Amino acid sequence: MSSDAEWYLNSLKYNKPGSIPHDFATAVEDGCPFDCGLCPEHQQHTCVGLIEITTRCNLACPTCFANAGPGYDLSVAQVEAMLDRFIETEGQPEVLQISGGEPTIHPQLLDILAAAKKRDIRHLVLNTNGLRLAQDPDFVRELSVYRPFIYLQFDGVSAQTYENLRGQDLCGIKKMALDHVAEAGLHAGLVATIVRGVNENEIGEILRYGLEHPSVLGVCYQPVTFAGRCLNHHDPLHRVTLPQVLHDLENQTEGLFMVKDFRPVPCPHPTCSASTYAYVDDKQVMPLTRLLDVDDYLDFVTNRVLVDASAVIKPVLEALWSMAAVMGSEKTTNNLTCVACNLNLNLPSSVESLVEHFFSVHVHGFMDAHNFDLKRLMKCCIHQLLPDGRAVPFCAYNTLGYREQVRQEQEALVGR
Amino acid sequence: MVDKLNGREIKICCATFYESDIVRMFLGDVLHPGGLALTCHLGEVMGLSARNRVLDVACGRGASAVHLAQHFGCHVTGLDYSQDNIAAAEEHATAQGVSQLTIFSNGDAERLPFDDSAFDSVISECSFCTFPDKVAAAAEMARVLAPGGILGLTDMTVNGTLPEDIQPLLSWVACVAGAGTPEQYIETLEQAGFIDFTVEDCNAALLEMVNDVRRKLLGIELAAGLGKLDLGDINLTKGKHLAKRAVELIESGVVGYTLIAARRN
Repeated sequence: MSSDAEWYLNSLKYNKPGSIPHDFATAVEDGCPFDCGLCPEHQQHTCVGLIEITTRCNLACPTCFANAGPGYDLSVAQVEAMLDRFIETEGQPEVLQISGGEPTIHPQLLDILAAAKKRDIRHLVLNTNGLRLAQDPDFVRELSVYRPFIYLQFDGVSAQTYENLRGQDLCGIKKMALDHVAEAGLHAGLVATIVRGVNENEIGEILRYGLEHPSVLGVCYQPVTFAGRCLNHHDPLHRVTLPQVLHDLENQTEGLFMVKDFRPVPCPHPTCSASTYAYVDDKQVMPLTRLLDVDDYLDFVTNRVLVDASAVIKPVLEALWSMAAVMGSEKTTNNLTCVACNLNLNLPSSVESLVEHFFSVHVHGFMDAHNFDLKRLMKCCIHQLLPDGRAVPFCAYNTLGYREQVRQEQEALVGR
Repeated sequence: MVDKLNGREIKICCATFYESDIVRMFLGDVLHPGGLALTCHLGEVMGLSARNRVLDVACGRGASAVHLAQHFGCHVTGLDYSQDNIAAAEEHATAQGVSQLTIFSNGDAERLPFDDSAFDSVISECSFCTFPDKVAAAAEMARVLAPGGILGLTDMTVNGTLPEDIQPLLSWVACVAGAGTPEQYIETLEQAGFIDFTVEDCNAALLEMVNDVRRKLLGIELAAGLGKLDLGDINLTKGKHLAKRAVELIESGVVGYTLIAARRN
């Protein structure tokens, strides 16, 4: 479902064949979308694996698609088995998102992060509402040992928005959480759930907030998923689409970011996501689309980038640095006057600090029963990892009863 | 392309190509796909140890020879067609403290300047495809290997004909124009007296090498766009096009990279 035919049709051109996981957990029996696990008909491996380590939450958001609240925690042993299975199906997994519920209230979160860190997984992301990060700076320092990227729910800059979507004003909480993240030397991405008639007028302000806060490396906008509790409060026919977010962003930032700066992410189905990167310093915010033809390099952009541009930018800068090291005294390359190499910088730390100048903006439109599209589902690369070893595409998990089935099984297991 | 050049010209052309600064800039000091990690893996497949006397045919600037000497403690003789490479290799070995384990000399792969059965192991990386007379090169490698000795190659493979539009990369095309399928290499080696083949697909390493070049191109474009790098009159369009075509050729299976190990009968 789209509100911009031109964007939709153009994005289809970006579709790229997927790669197949090392192993499938289910066979094709009832046909898509009822055999998820993944089944052999699935067209993309897992770029992002999500583990919901708890169904409990310290908020009771009216918009929660996961119906989080009272519930159960997974044991560390369960999570370790899921991580091992992730390695089995992926070889070297790209992104692991620790999610929930609210994962920061899991009593063994640090053990879980340690278990993830011990394995060969490239990026570790922690999804959170920020409540505990704001209230417990010591906890944030403990977290920082494991260097997770903080994926912070951040829906706006006004009290009304949080009261409407989260049941209470969280403006102060979000700021404090980000300050603690910055103090601990961690990085964050702001994840905004966009609901029509509630906060689409704050799309530009969310971006500005992110650009100004030292810990924030990107913003991800997610039009709300009409599943779980959200259906009790909002009308699924009254929805925000992916291109609408892009147009709002252009209008609300006076063209700082424009619709034409965005490209579909080719790794899932190209109508699921759009993203762009900008170079940011004191003087300017420069979307990379205005510096070079990004279409030449789009295959470097996979869903692993989420809101953290460093997954793309860091290898590029490292490659540039390694070349600079050879370049120094060579005669044919004398006309390449490299500012960076003349400074003779300490290599890793300078790449690190340059990475902080890249800011990403990402929009991901998830599916629910009202805009479900099997073509998109079959190409999905964001998968919920389950205790029984299955991996279920995120939107199928939330919409088709998989979540409820797993919850029942786990609750039976812990004797509720 | 190949018809217009004789064997000697191709050898010089390939050696010059690999020597050039711009190539080193994009490929770094290790000029074959998979880098030293694949070199090490090749050594493991061959079962190298400190007891071995290894010949590296077309050793370039000695990166692999030095690495093998350091990693396995074996004695390595490096041979290359370019005198400059030999000098650089000697310097590298000294700097790395393995000059007592390595010898470098100038020479032709099709007329190896060594006695019969002088070595128990021979490696050649990303080079067999460039030898104009592969039958002669294979026979020479067999001759200098003692019976039971191990040969280890990693090399470009080409399945079918290379398209016209990658011809601008003249010297590289001259090199890989001589590449064949893994089956063709094996047949040539069998005829030279090799048996017990181990074959591994290393296409991912080749793709990674090309993508590393593409990341460097992106880095250059980025730095230039931000005013941090002055490109002068260098035009990246051709390089970008070639790199992109290379990815397509690898992904479609036309161009590949293969490890072959075999025993001298």
